[in-house]
Amino acid sequence: MNKKPTRVLLGKVGLDGHDNGIKIVAKWLADAGMEVTYLGLHNTAESILSAAIQENVDIIGCSFLGGEHLYFARNLMNLMKEKNIADVKLVIGGVIPPDDVAELEKSGVDAVFTPGTRKSTIIDKILNL
Amino acid sequence: MKKKENRYETYLKGERLPHFRTLSGIELKEFYKASDIQPETESPGEFPYTRGIHREMYRKRFWTRRQQAGFGLPEETNKRFQFLLKEGMTGINFDPDNATKLGFDADHPLTEGQVGLQGTSISTLEDMDKLFDSIPLDKVSSTLIINPPSSAVIFPMYLMIAKKRGIPWDKLRGTIMNCAITQLVGPNLQAVTEFYPLEMAMRTACDVIEYSCKNLTHWNSININAYNCREFCITAIQEAAIAFTLAEEYIRRMLKRGLDIDEFAGRMAFFTSCHIDFLEEIAKLRAMRRIWAKLIKEKYHAKDEKSCLFRTAIQTSGLVLTAQEPLNNIVRATIQTLAAVLGGSQSIHTTSYDEAYALPTEESHKLSVRTQQIIGFETGVCATVDPLGGSHVIEWLTSKLEEEIVALMETINLKGGFLECFTNQWIDEQINESRNKMAEDLEKGDLLRVGVNIFDEEMEEAKIHMDIFKHSPDVEEKRKGYLKQYRENRNQKTVQDSLDKLCELMRSDSEANCIPMVMEALEAKATLGEIVDTFRKAYDFEIRM
Repeated sequence: MNKKPTRVLLGKVGLDGHDNGIKIVAKWLADAGMEVTYLGLHNTAESILSAAIQENVDIIGCSFLGGEHLYFARNLMNLMKEKNIADVKLVIGGVIPPDDVAELEKSGVDAVFTPGTRKSTIIDKILNL
Repeated sequence: MKKKENRYETYLKGERLPHFRTLSGIELKEFYKASDIQPETESPGEFPYTRGIHREMYRKRFWTRRQQAGFGLPEETNKRFQFLLKEGMTGINFDPDNATKLGFDADHPLTEGQVGLQGTSISTLEDMDKLFDSIPLDKVSSTLIINPPSSAVIFPMYLMIAKKRGIPWDKLRGTIMNCAITQLVGPNLQAVTEFYPLEMAMRTACDVIEYSCKNLTHWNSININAYNCREFCITAIQEAAIAFTLAEEYIRRMLKRGLDIDEFAGRMAFFTSCHIDFLEEIAKLRAMRRIWAKLIKEKYHAKDEKSCLFRTAIQTSGLVLTAQEPLNNIVRATIQTLAAVLGGSQSIHTTSYDEAYALPTEESHKLSVRTQQIIGFETGVCATVDPLGGSHVIEWLTSKLEEEIVALMETINLKGGFLECFTNQWIDEQINESRNKMAEDLEKGDLLRVGVNIFDEEMEEAKIHMDIFKHSPDVEEKRKGYLKQYRENRNQKTVQDSLDKLCELMRSDSEANCIPMVMEALEAKATLGEIVDTFRKAYDFEIRM
């Protein structure tokens, strides 16, 4: 079967610089055969979206540590609707309290990964979105 | 780890470790004996201070219990300080939010959605006064968790509050973190160059060190942040070598400014991690004391013994805390805290068990203080100094780590020193390697974590029965409203004049100390954001985002 590799865009949004998790995930996904672009730190929802459109990705992944996940996830989802790319999947990772995980999932985030999630879990879930 | 059917077989066979290496990869033997080590002749409080920087250590006074705290409005954080002090925290450890750390006021567009989240939002002298309301600055020591260039604003704020309250500066005790490279979020080049030039951060760091050394007696003017590096998944060896070679960058700059090593080395301190490898972490702290003492005496020719003391604050590593079965984190943090005590630390922050989810609640914060109190008052480990000194394995590991750390320091120095290795991304490569190795080791079971990759098979969806910290609503709106009002109630011309003078000074002389002029601007009611913007202007730096 000659399936096109899944294209993933990863990036940190906002001022926070904690990028341990997202760098590890970037490597895991690339090792699993996906095409991964990591945009680094300090992106805005707008810059993530324009890169996603330009790279024609299947999945956008952002990671948060300090409680900014709800605000930025909302921004990202609104922009995705606005730009008419609602078929692109949004994945969020990081230090996120259980109530917020539920809220993110309810509001349309396709997957949420908290610290300690295994490599296989992340890859399986992303490939099956 | 094992499926149900072969569980009993495994138990019958006996459980064992996958290997016998430390976290740094040092292979341990079956056992150690006297012939493996040098005969012990050193006493605590004697050069090179392997056994502790004081002869009496905790027999005379315990380490400082210093839990990091900071969120929301200054008033909210003040309440948490008061609560923790009441429960037995003995020093303050203040953490501002990301905006404050990067020199932005809460009404800057880049801070939207993030105000007061990872720390307290601070912009004005008045904010600082509210933050330390009713706290006797001459009796409680404070650590100000802030990197340059914002450290060159927060530090003067603290001094000005003391002055206003009639407290002489030589009565102030505490620390400003002030490391330009690793304080913000570890050695991450993008993080420390996106919002200001590196040279500006190094210069303001040195301004703080110089001003502090000349005007205060008991204040630590820089804390070399090794902890944040360690949290990037590096080894104990890399943590120590990075910290010391980074410290040497500041030493060289201060000597170049014309200060004598004994004028500032005694006021340089460290912030290190305590990971979960109990033996290695204890040995690491002993080795670090020995290496620092020799470095300062032999390479930099310090005459004052105080200059040679490796004094360190410790935070138990949050890297090993798991979102799965969070109560397990209490056990981990307790063991890490015990290692920090046996390693002879000067102050400890015990990371709270709920930090894989959010900032600590009052309850989990209190438990961290209690953990330290139980170790200090109940276990007896403080009754004699360096209780593990002379243990064959600890002594062997101390010397082995010393050797490895010194070798890596030499490599870094041969490559041009820490700053060179940092800016040319060599450090980043090393970190990436270590980070990927740790992730891989966890995956293949070379590194084990209970509830994560062993004894996890029957875990259903995480069921968490605990209170999680919640931010109060509207912090951002409140801060924006406050700043608007603050800016309206001041003489705009005085503010502008003071900022212009500051800009001129920083432009004209790259070694002129900015602190007195920053004080003038703060007095005129300039905000932190306006002052850091002035720094940027003096360096012709524009943020491109």
